[in-house]
Amino acid sequence: MSDQTAPSPQAQNALQTGIVQLRDVTEAIRVRIRNPAKLRNLELFLLVIAWVLAGGAMVLVQLGALQRVDLFPLQLAAGLGVLTLALHIVLRIVAREADAIILPVATVLNGLGIAMIYRIDIADGLSGWDAASMRQIAWTGIALLVAIAAIVVVRNHRVLARYRYVAMAIAFILLLLPLMPGIGRTVNGATVWIGVGPLSFQPGELAKIALAIFFAGYLMTARDSLSVVGRKVLGVRFPRLRDLGPILVVWAMCMLVLVFQRDLGTSVLYFGLFLVMIYIATGRRSWMVIGVGLVAVGGVAAYFSLGYVQRRVHAWIHAFDPAVYEAQGGSFQIVQGVFGMGHGGLLGTGLGLGRPDITPYANSDYIIPSLGEELGLTGIVAILGLYLILVSRGVRIGFQGPDDFTKLLGVGLAFVIGLQVFIVVGGVTRLIPLTGLTTPFLAAGGSSLLANWLIVALLLRLSDSVRGRGIV
Amino acid sequence: MSELTLIIIRIGFLALLWLFIFIVLYSLRSDLFGPRLTPLQRVAVQSARSRESGAAPAPAAAGADAPTTVTERQGASSASAQATRVVITSGPRSGLELDLPQTGLTIGRSSGSGLQIKDDYTSSNHAKIVRWREQWVVQDLGSTNGTFVEGKRISESTPVQVGSSVRIGTTTFELRR
Repeated sequence: MSDQTAPSPQAQNALQTGIVQLRDVTEAIRVRIRNPAKLRNLELFLLVIAWVLAGGAMVLVQLGALQRVDLFPLQLAAGLGVLTLALHIVLRIVAREADAIILPVATVLNGLGIAMIYRIDIADGLSGWDAASMRQIAWTGIALLVAIAAIVVVRNHRVLARYRYVAMAIAFILLLLPLMPGIGRTVNGATVWIGVGPLSFQPGELAKIALAIFFAGYLMTARDSLSVVGRKVLGVRFPRLRDLGPILVVWAMCMLVLVFQRDLGTSVLYFGLFLVMIYIATGRRSWMVIGVGLVAVGGVAAYFSLGYVQRRVHAWIHAFDPAVYEAQGGSFQIVQGVFGMGHGGLLGTGLGLGRPDITPYANSDYIIPSLGEELGLTGIVAILGLYLILVSRGVRIGFQGPDDFTKLLGVGLAFVIGLQVFIVVGGVTRLIPLTGLTTPFLAAGGSSLLANWLIVALLLRLSDSVRGRGIV
Repeated sequence: MSELTLIIIRIGFLALLWLFIFIVLYSLRSDLFGPRLTPLQRVAVQSARSRESGAAPAPAAAGADAPTTVTERQGASSASAQATRVVITSGPRSGLELDLPQTGLTIGRSSGSGLQIKDDYTSSNHAKIVRWREQWVVQDLGSTNGTFVEGKRISESTPVQVGSSVRIGTTTFELRR
């Protein structure tokens, strides 16, 4: 063996590639026959249960609140079921190896959300296009169609890495749109809406996806200089001053959102997203130290200079103080939500049988306490479990990703959902101060639905690209 | 509809919700415990393994004379032939695992490389791992900063055993079964 040298690389290659290519092809065919879309069949099975759950929730709402079954809303919901089936069929064709869990879980959450919004509509006596549930059903349809289009159009998500600076520009434009005179709208103090005629939209919801793409693309190229160089202070390696640029820019952007759009939740979400992605990219704890420090500085400054931040903190700490409870913009909403969940107890009052409509914004910001009241602790823990599964699938996809961009994007998108759930649920349960963010898939609101179904589409596309690596 | 039926349906709904979650968790069990093989699959995997070690020398045998190959096949069966994965043990992408395809693996800075290493010490087409006579062999493709097997810079094709370290730039990796 030792006295023989290897044949010249070229000659050996030509021979080997020919034979091995042939073997690869036959292997691929064999795998295709032996493993006929096992993942997709699992997905279909779970999807059927998801339909039963979503439809069952709606029927229960009607039995509880109306004491009869009204077929019309059920037919509309069935239409959405057909659209999720269409998404499933599209996956069978263009993304056979995509994750099987994400779509059914998102369907259950979306269905529960529609049922609860419908329940609040019944309590408020709304019908037709005045009813938030009708609009929610329409937006779900649009969101599903956009998700299908995204999966069909984006065949290779790595192409997105090339458009990272375009994504950044889009994110900035979307963020600034609500500040433009004429189309910007201020609702409840927060300038995060744009409106044309009767239609309104929260562009910040889509901006978070564009930002995740930008961060993933940027960190993919910059991770080495961000992680390797720097000097050590107290055993933690800190980056060079010039490498701090991007994190300061993102921080400044979030502070601008905080000051001019008066939206605490969104700025925390964006900054948290960036922090997590930079930590994943570099594995350096110093970024977390710097980031948390910046949040602390920003938070303290905001508390002392911005009245609405101060009111939020007071309503959080002194929620049960009668003066705060009765004050305008006080803790009435928080306390009602807490009472509602307490009323629900372990098993809940039953769908359609509680009084969640007493709480302001019971169908959007406060949909979690509404569900907590009517489904009880058992139901709310199940819902949190569904979110946990969704986020863990995203992290798992990122973990298995073959390249840095896939990894960062997968984890980043999953983290957006996770952080949003934490901020909302933490806010309504008085763990952290209340901030206005939407509960993914559940809360009434078209922009949020659209953005979250786009995230689902991207995660499905990502998971298809890590094919054959033992998912399920 | 009576009160009792409604209560039963309500509790049934919560039960179904939890059942859904448990079905999902059950279908994700292979994430935790690894895939379970049916007896039939196990036989298939084993026969595939033995077929692989039998069929692999064919390309090399075409280049050299057959008898030596046969004797060597018996001697070298315990060597690196069964390596199926490349694991990066240190460097910026430490912890990464890749499958080692039967075609071999190219390593370098170019985006076409099977294992892409982006640092200042790696050439665009740096090195290559190929299968030759029952063994995985590392070839340096004329890189600037060299390829090191077990700490020694290599100048010609060098066999790599399972578990021995190969260093390129700041990245060290080894072959695993």
